[in-house]
Amino acid sequence: MAEVFARMVSLAMISIFTQNAIFDRAFGINVAIYASRKTSHIIGFTVAITLMTTFASAAAYPFDLMLLPSENGYLYMPLIYVGIVGVLYLLGLFALWGFFPKTYYKVNKYAHLAIFNCTVFGALFLNYNFGKGFAGYVGYGFGTGIGFFLACFLLNIAHERLNNDKIPRAFRGYPIMLVFIGIISLAFNVLVGYTAEF
Amino acid sequence: MENNSKSFSFDGLLRQNIVLMSGLVTAPIIVACTTMKRALVLVISFFLISYVSMLICRVIPRKIAYTFRILFLVIAAAGLYIPTVLLLQKLFPAETSSVMLYIELMTVNLLLLAKTESRFYLIPYGKMAAEALVYIAGYALAAFAVGFIRELLAYGTLFDLKLFGAVLPAARSPFFGFVLVGLLAAACRAFIGSRKES
Repeated sequence: MAEVFARMVSLAMISIFTQNAIFDRAFGINVAIYASRKTSHIIGFTVAITLMTTFASAAAYPFDLMLLPSENGYLYMPLIYVGIVGVLYLLGLFALWGFFPKTYYKVNKYAHLAIFNCTVFGALFLNYNFGKGFAGYVGYGFGTGIGFFLACFLLNIAHERLNNDKIPRAFRGYPIMLVFIGIISLAFNVLVGYTAEF
Repeated sequence: MENNSKSFSFDGLLRQNIVLMSGLVTAPIIVACTTMKRALVLVISFFLISYVSMLICRVIPRKIAYTFRILFLVIAAAGLYIPTVLLLQKLFPAETSSVMLYIELMTVNLLLLAKTESRFYLIPYGKMAAEALVYIAGYALAAFAVGFIRELLAYGTLFDLKLFGAVLPAARSPFFGFVLVGLLAAACRAFIGSRKES
C-alpha cells in the first residue's frame, strides 16, 4: 500500500515540476493565460482540469493496456479519450445541473474550455509513457492538474506587473506573457536538468 | 456580431492570426515546430483535421444544445485523425513520429472549439469554408516563420539542406519557442498598429 502511494506521489511530483504541462510542453497555454487573469478563474479551471485529468486517467488505464501494445492501437486512442472525457463532461454537467443549478448556469458556457483542452488530453496521451500502473496513472493525472495551478499562480503574479505603461504597447498582453513563460520554462529545465522529448 | 455576411474577411491571415494574435493552437508551434519539414507536417495535419471537421460539423443544426455540438466536433476531429496520420506516415515518416503527440492534440484545438461557435456558425456555409481556409493560411504563415528561424539557428539547415554550422542549438528547445513566438506576436501587433496609424 505504501509503495502504491509512493508511486502515486512521485508521478504527481514529476508532472508538477519536471514535466509541467504549461512550462515543459505548452499544453493549454492559452487557457492558462486566460484563467490566470482572475483568482476565481484559476480556482474554477484548476478544479475542473484536476478532476478531469484524475478521473479520465483512471478510466483510460484499461483501454491503454488493451490497445496501445497492439500495432495500430494508437490510431484509436484519440477517439477513445474523446469518448471518456465526453462522458465525464456530460456526467459533470448533469451533476452540476442537478445539485448546483446556479453554478451550472455560470460555468456552462466556459466548461468546454476547461475540459476539452491540451492539458487534459496531453495528460492522457503521456500517461502510457510515464504512468506505469494504475496508481501511476492517477498520480500523473492529478499532478498535471496541480501543475496547471502552479503555472496559473505564477502567471497571475506576473500579470499585473507585466501589463503596465512601462511595457511597449506591442508587447503588452499575450506577447510579453509568452516571453515570461519562456524564461520560467528555461528556469524549470535548468532546475531539473531535463530536456523534453516528444 | 463580427463582420456581416456580405464582406469576405482576410483577417485570419494577419490581423486575427490564430497563433500570433489570438494565441490559439500555439503548443505545436512552440514545442514541436523546430524545422520546416515539421512545420509542413503540422500544417497538413491541422488542415486535414480542423478544416474537414469544421466543414462536417457546420451542418449540425444550431437547435442542438451547445454541449452536444462541441462533442460532435471533437469526435469528428478524432475520427479524421486516423486517415491524417496514415497519410502523413507515408509522406513524412520520421517527422510524423517525432511530432505525433501534437498531431493527436489537434483533435481538441481551440480553432475548432472557439471559432466555430463564435464566428463560423454565424456566416453562410460557402463564406465559412473560404474564411476558415484563410485562418489555416495564417496558421501556416506562423508555423513556417517559426520553423524557418529555428531550423536555421538550431541546425544551420533549410529543408535538411546544409547552409552553415548550428549557430544556436538551444533554438530547438521549448523555452526558445515561447520567446520566439512572443517576439513574432509583438512584431505582428506593431506592424498592424503602424498600418492602422498610417
